[in-house]
Amino acid sequence: MGDLFLRSGRGLVTAMAIFWLIFLVAPIVVTLASSFTSSTYLTFPPPGYSVRWYVSAFESEWVWSTFWNSVVIAVVSTAIAVALGIAAARVLARHRFHGRGLFEYAVLSPLIIPGVVVGFALLNVSVLIETQDAGLLNLIIGHTMVTTPFTLRSVWSSMAGSEISLEEAAQSLGATRWSAFWLIVFPLIVPGIVAGAIIAFTFSFNDVTISAFLSAREARTLPVELMSHIEYLPDPTPAAVSSLMIIVTLAFFLLVERTVGLDVFADR
Amino acid sequence: MTAGRAWGGGARFPASLATPVLLAFAVFIVVPCALLLVKGLEPTSAAGDWPDFTNVLGLFDSKIGQQALNRTIRVSLIVTVICLVAGYPVALFIARCAPRWRGLLLAVVIFPFLISAVVRAFGWTVLLGDSGLANKGLIALGLIDRPIALVQNEIGIIVGETHLLMPYMILSLLAVLQRIDPNLRHAAESLGASPVSVFWRIVIPLTLPGLLTGTLLVFSLAMTAFATPFLLGGGRTPILTTLLYDYAFTLFDWRLAASIGIVLLILGILFVTIHRFVSSRGMRSYG
Repeated sequence: MGDLFLRSGRGLVTAMAIFWLIFLVAPIVVTLASSFTSSTYLTFPPPGYSVRWYVSAFESEWVWSTFWNSVVIAVVSTAIAVALGIAAARVLARHRFHGRGLFEYAVLSPLIIPGVVVGFALLNVSVLIETQDAGLLNLIIGHTMVTTPFTLRSVWSSMAGSEISLEEAAQSLGATRWSAFWLIVFPLIVPGIVAGAIIAFTFSFNDVTISAFLSAREARTLPVELMSHIEYLPDPTPAAVSSLMIIVTLAFFLLVERTVGLDVFADR
Repeated sequence: MTAGRAWGGGARFPASLATPVLLAFAVFIVVPCALLLVKGLEPTSAAGDWPDFTNVLGLFDSKIGQQALNRTIRVSLIVTVICLVAGYPVALFIARCAPRWRGLLLAVVIFPFLISAVVRAFGWTVLLGDSGLANKGLIALGLIDRPIALVQNEIGIIVGETHLLMPYMILSLLAVLQRIDPNLRHAAESLGASPVSVFWRIVIPLTLPGLLTGTLLVFSLAMTAFATPFLLGGGRTPILTTLLYDYAFTLFDWRLAASIGIVLLILGILFVTIHRFVSSRGMRSYG
């Protein structure tokens, strides 16, 4: 009796788990499948298959120009966020000073402030100082600020394990502060830097919230442009663009899984 | 994540390292937020004095503001409950399954994280549309006669946000489930405890920290989500974030947009304070 109860309980948990796991992949699978439709409207399952919407996506000027904007913004903002993250992590891991708590609070504050607030607040400032047309610059600034907490956290946790005594030993043997950092500390925190950079890059490349506020006419990101196409065009081209984004993400995901491990994403 | 011991000059401020970071955050976060506050508290009439709280307070006297606030809270609560009820069995299942399957199932949970919210919302517009799989399924089951509206309304927002945020809940729960010593369960069972009482008296209490973290995380992220409610809720069902966007770009009333921003800012700070209060894990899981 107890055994039957146990088994039916386990069965129920399994059934529910499988249902919700399917729920998690459903929109991704449906987007991929429906993008190969041969018709001019979107249904699932499609009435016939073709790659015409992929051709249309590759021929669309907006796809390419916004894609390159997104790449440039993600690369530049990740690079700056990594530099800021290393500096901030070093401050927090090695120094005790008055206002250290305040420093930590300031650098992690973009995690507390909702994205729409960061986006609108930065837009408000750019209008006040009349730089609202410098879309690319504004987007890079916004993305850098919201991704720095991610790079800080992963670099900081990799510094917590590194030995101060090694650095001190190097310095007592005549190494300068810089060479001690580059030769001793830096190699130890590389995994943290890589992990932080991966998170920052994915966040920046996918972001819509901040980008929707800061995108100017000539500088729009791919997700923002895709959003306006989904909103106004009932045409399957966005399905093909979405599918391409899924496929590229999957390749990136497998690369990370093979090299760094999926824990990078689990700890955010 | 505690810092190492003090190095160098004790209580000296590490100016060369900290100044560029502080400067960046002061100029691009603190000042913009302060100016938002200035904007939101601008007097409504030319003769009025700053600060004028009538905008922020009046926001919730207006019908649309009131509705948006109520909808934000209602949707976030429903999404949190669904994520909790659905995420728990998923986490339990993944924690218990064989290691060779665990990797694949974890990938299923984590992969949606990496896909832009726009793409995920797009998938749901296809699934939930009039001729989508969801309506077809409901008709096949005999639950409805003709397609019902599942997007451009609150249902769409709830489904989309549940999909957006469930991985956070599952990962928060998995973090604590994996730390439970299996010997505890064996001991309880060998002493005669039924599987049900093992679950309620051992598993649930031990996963409480993860449950709390996940719940707060999902609720606060549901309140501040933007792209998902924007695409799946449509123009007639605004929540606070999409209403802010409407005021900024459709109605060009930046004073009102800023007042919604102030409300969202206060909510964000409130959640972190609660989170810090209930768990010692601090801000680690905010993202």
